[in-house]
Amino acid sequence: MPPIIKTHALTKVFGSNGAAVHALRGIDLTVERGEFVALIGPSGSGKSTLMAILGCLDLPTGGTYALDGERVEGLSGRELAQIRNDKIGFVFQQYNLLPKASVVRNVELPMLYAGVPRKERRTRALELLEKVGIPDKAKVLPAALSGGQRQRVAIARSLANRPALLLADEPTGALDQHTGHEVLELFADLHRQGNTIIIVTHDLSIAAMAQRQVEIMDGLIKVEQAA
Amino acid sequence: MALNGAFRERLRNSWVEMRENFTRSTLQSLGVILGVASVLGGFSISDSMRQRSMELYVKMGGLDKLNVRQSAVVKEGAPTALQTANLGLRVADADEGEGIDASPVDGVSIRKDARARVRSPYADQERDIRGIGRDFLALDGYQVDQGRDFTVHDIDSGAPVAILGTEAVAVFFPNGDALGRTLRVGDTPVQVVGILKERVFRFRDGQNNMFRWRNRIIALPTTLVARRFEGDRYHRVDRVTFRIRKLDAMAQFTKGLSSMLKANHRQQEDFRLDDIGARIRKERSQGNVYDLIFLLSGFLSLIGGGIVNVNIQMATLKERIREVGVKMAIGAPGREIFKEFMTEALLLTAAGSVAGLVIGVGFSKIITASIGVPLHIDPKSFVSAYGLAAVFGFVFALFPAWKASRLSPMEALRYE
Repeated sequence: MPPIIKTHALTKVFGSNGAAVHALRGIDLTVERGEFVALIGPSGSGKSTLMAILGCLDLPTGGTYALDGERVEGLSGRELAQIRNDKIGFVFQQYNLLPKASVVRNVELPMLYAGVPRKERRTRALELLEKVGIPDKAKVLPAALSGGQRQRVAIARSLANRPALLLADEPTGALDQHTGHEVLELFADLHRQGNTIIIVTHDLSIAAMAQRQVEIMDGLIKVEQAA
Repeated sequence: MALNGAFRERLRNSWVEMRENFTRSTLQSLGVILGVASVLGGFSISDSMRQRSMELYVKMGGLDKLNVRQSAVVKEGAPTALQTANLGLRVADADEGEGIDASPVDGVSIRKDARARVRSPYADQERDIRGIGRDFLALDGYQVDQGRDFTVHDIDSGAPVAILGTEAVAVFFPNGDALGRTLRVGDTPVQVVGILKERVFRFRDGQNNMFRWRNRIIALPTTLVARRFEGDRYHRVDRVTFRIRKLDAMAQFTKGLSSMLKANHRQQEDFRLDDIGARIRKERSQGNVYDLIFLLSGFLSLIGGGIVNVNIQMATLKERIREVGVKMAIGAPGREIFKEFMTEALLLTAAGSVAGLVIGVGFSKIITASIGVPLHIDPKSFVSAYGLAAVFGFVFALFPAWKASRLSPMEALRYE
């Protein structure tokens, strides 16, 4: 089985010529199936850019990237959208739920884009809400939930299409310590169930929960260590 | 639907979006509302007037008529032998005209007017006398109320009989017992054999009866008028009318009639043919100019509203960039974003059209009621109004939707 993530000499340049910013300068990273990896680094280190490329939100300027064995460079916007839908689950710091849609509809959204039939969507969304521990909140709007609950909804949504990779960008950044810990426990559970997780953070105590820490500095991998 | 119910989902989301931003949505659909209202309102007013005119024409005895009138021929110098020999428009013309091709001719009427002193025991007035013959009453939209129409015998023999309109009855026999009484027309005593039904047509409520003068009629047989009042043994008439039921037969008949009349009139073109239907159609095409004006005003409000709509869409797009970014991140392709925006725009257009319909019909109802004409809306007006709104709703939605669909997911997600 191919690794979930395999990059080689990945570079990303913003702007051009004189004003060019080299955000990534040659990243070689391999993440195997079932790993729990923390990407750490100060702001401006390039970890967000790397995360965007790993999440197929952006394309690299140079180098290669294979996600679940599939080469990503040179794909069209539509193909990238399909890969994001099919293989990646995003969890954001700001939850990014649709405020006007109920919780269950938020969770159904990726399945809607994947073309899952209505009934199946609903059943799976309710299952997922149960899995993240808020089965009773299906019908409410996100605004009625606490931060921790919203992040649980976001996690349920990220799992909707059984993605190969969960990408979490500072998932506890907007939460207090206690709630943040609970959310991290949820990630740990998901990892134990066999999900591959990459968590981006600048908090070393959070990174410590992961199997492996990858530190990015100035667009390069500085330290890679397994716990 | 494609994407199993995705359309339904989009429709639902658009509806939620509209409901949550009611003021904005109202502003957005204002152009459509006004456009539909002005087209539909304008059209329905002109439809109502046109419908009323149609009713008028029907009451006048129909449009399918061809009038032949005597017209003066300018004569310079001494008249030629042919001119002297020409007898003008006569009953014979009516008979021969019918004889050209009887199949399309549905009725013939002749008319000969005179002026005479009319006396009864109650009144003594100088009056217009109408000599009528053949199917005059039917072709001019008169109906006999009491008594009878002239018989063929009355007309052929120039019998001293008369038919009166209601106003003439009121003047000459104020007690109402006109039937069977004698009226002196000039020096000729005539017996009243028929009374006509009163004719009333008000184009708008409260307006004068447009047919009032028609109730003044004092009708005698044409033959009587020709002989007694004109001393004319050639039985000349002022007007001959043919009713032609089949519209497509009219042109052919007119041609035949024209050449026949010319032959009868010693090659003099001293007659005028007047196709009433053609005249009305021409008048009506002038009415279409108003429709064009209403269409233009609808057009302009749709353009204005459309531009406002694009502006609002672009402004709200800024608010919604993050939302678009999220949707893209979880796998919505640009095409899906495009469709979502389009669905919303089209739903707005549809809602705006319904509001415009209500406003437009409401307005024209008020206007037609205030001028006293019954409201009539041609289904074609709905088609025009909705067609226009749909086209504009679609066209003006394209740009914002396209813009949204082209956002980069990364930038959209980071947008603050």
